[in-house]
Amino acid sequence: MQKKLNQRTHDLKVHQTLGLVTVVPLCAAVIVSSGAKQKHNKTTGLIIEPSSGAIDLHAALGASTAALYGFTAYYAIAAPRIPGVKPKGAIKWHRDLVWIHAPGMVLTPILGGLALSQENSGEKVHGIASAHSYVAWTTVGAYGASIIAVSWPIHLKFWEK
Amino acid sequence: MRLAVALFLAAVAPIGLHAQSQWVLTQSTLTWHVVHPMHEVDGTSHEAKGKGNCSAGACDFLIAVQLKTFDSGDSNRDLHMIQTVRGGQFPMVIVRTHLAQSALESGVIDADLEVEFAGQTAHYSHVPLHRVAHGNDIQITGTVPATCSDFKIDRPSFLAVPIRNEIPVTVDTTWRPM
Repeated sequence: MQKKLNQRTHDLKVHQTLGLVTVVPLCAAVIVSSGAKQKHNKTTGLIIEPSSGAIDLHAALGASTAALYGFTAYYAIAAPRIPGVKPKGAIKWHRDLVWIHAPGMVLTPILGGLALSQENSGEKVHGIASAHSYVAWTTVGAYGASIIAVSWPIHLKFWEK
Repeated sequence: MRLAVALFLAAVAPIGLHAQSQWVLTQSTLTWHVVHPMHEVDGTSHEAKGKGNCSAGACDFLIAVQLKTFDSGDSNRDLHMIQTVRGGQFPMVIVRTHLAQSALESGVIDADLEVEFAGQTAHYSHVPLHRVAHGNDIQITGTVPATCSDFKIDRPSFLAVPIRNEIPVTVDTTWRPM
């Protein structure tokens, strides 16, 4: 039993560390996303294409995020279950939010790829690919909420104690 | 004749006070308290078992509680607590104390506690326990000034900052004579 508990703690610590590391490329991908977007000149109506460097950077950061997310998820799934223990409290929120950010982590790069191929074809991004940023933001929101859920309640004025 | 009876009662009264008696724990609330710069958490159990035996003017009390009965409101944290304190190998916390029977009559009991926890045994001297009588029952409250180092517990950390070494356990118990 103790061995199982030790293994569980080890796996969940790796899960926690990787989960926090994943935040770095995730935030970076969000920050550089505006540079990787097709823009429209409102006066001329012309489409302004993003630079290939900006697209590559955004794609690389997105891919890194997805890969790290995959490793993070692996350690949560691999952690041994303890029989008779039902998830309760903040951990339940943390687990339930997976149903939002996990599909989001899969869909976001797919939609991004679709959007990129439409841009490369000289088309305006349309159809399901236009949902790329909405899906991405929903994923970011759910992922952030998931981190906050397991960290709550946070004593913000920690320097006072 | 009345004087003789009075003298007899006076003579046997100390014997009566030191008579053999047993106590059973009827209600309990044990709460550990953990402090981290970003968190303060309590875990509570109401499922302690306990008994007390008094004879020859001395009492021995024992309280035992299973670690898995502590609830901090988060099942993940509770499992982590059990892992950290080696609960897979040592699933119980056992507290013992030896008191003079007369100490049970005072409002504040000066207790020496022996605590078995996480495979270690620690002693806490002069722990003040407050006693309040409720009819036949007596309520005993107090705080065991436990620390992680007393039990060789590696302090869990969050964002690389460990919890405080102090993990006081507040005790609120109600005992009934058997």
